Amino acid sequence: MVGKIIQIAVITLLSGSLAQAVTSKENYNYYCAQCHGLEGKGDGPNATESQPVSPKDHTDAKEMSELTKDDVIKVIRGGGAATGKSTMMPPFGKTITDAEIQDLVNYLRKLCNCKFENEP
Amino acid sequence: METFRFSRFAGTWVAAAVALSGLLLGGVEAGAAEGKQTFDAKKCRDCHQTEGPAKAKTIQDQLATKGPELWYAGSKFKKEFLGKWLKDPKPIRPMEFNSITKKNPGDHPKLSGKDADEVTEYLMSLKSKDVEEGVVKPDKNPKNRNIFEKKQGCYGCHPVKRGEKILGGLTGPTLIGAGERLNPAWVYAYLKKPKVFKPVKRMPVYVDVLSDSEMKGVAAYIGTFE
Repeated sequence: MVGKIIQIAVITLLSGSLAQAVTSKENYNYYCAQCHGLEGKGDGPNATESQPVSPKDHTDAKEMSELTKDDVIKVIRGGGAATGKSTMMPPFGKTITDAEIQDLVNYLRKLCNCKFENEP
Repeated sequence: METFRFSRFAGTWVAAAVALSGLLLGGVEAGAAEGKQTFDAKKCRDCHQTEGPAKAKTIQDQLATKGPELWYAGSKFKKEFLGKWLKDPKPIRPMEFNSITKKNPGDHPKLSGKDADEVTEYLMSLKSKDVEEGVVKPDKNPKNRNIFEKKQGCYGCHPVKRGEKILGGLTGPTLIGAGERLNPAWVYAYLKKPKVFKPVKRMPVYVDVLSDSEMKGVAAYIGTFE
């Protein structure tokens, strides 16, 4: 009986957390697409002519594959400043979780259809 | 006789003063109460949340909302701005609320003079205990400007004015005229306690990214925007 209750509780907890889990696409479209565009081409509404830098085109396999996975994580977490780039890329490390950042890295791999530098 | 005349004279003044103060006090309360009725009658509540705490806890929740939450409007806005804006609403956000693909159609309903004044009274009565009045004063200090423009690129998302030129991004509410529109103490509180005001929003969380004094500095700088 107790085992059954625990089993139900675990299932309830799991289904609750699954229901709340945010997908990498949701995060990308909500946060990143503001500058990088919904398709990742660097053409979001914030990519106006007056900006000092242009958002990276995440579909550019050549440019994206020059980045290491660690750099990508650092930039999402700490913003452009984390790798000596423009602070126009803001930090999201206090906004989304490390696991969500990891998922975003996988999503970026899909967008560029490439692997990051030094990846097998 | 003289005494009687005096006391009757004085009594009249006292009664008038009491009536006037009652009218004034009652008027203020009535303004907010009537504003609340107008707010309901015009169905403003269909788009705006007026009772805290913040409800939207996920991206999906947030995207389902139709307009900015107003349960802390009295701490966020400046009264004079709100009164004028409700009579002649001009877009504050370049993009439609919650959208990054559609431009703001600028179709917010207008209120007539009396309705606008009463709704302003009502909205200004919606205060947040998390905003400490007077804690930030507008300040153009270059250090503050540096945080806004260089340490963080706030104008990456928020339109700003440099001289006569408008620049910056489009997904955040405009900061042009923010000095007239926003209470800088609220801007500070919004940076300091994002979970209280808006747990999920497109703007990053700056807690533990900016220090307390930097948050105050940014808020003070925004408070100078014309």
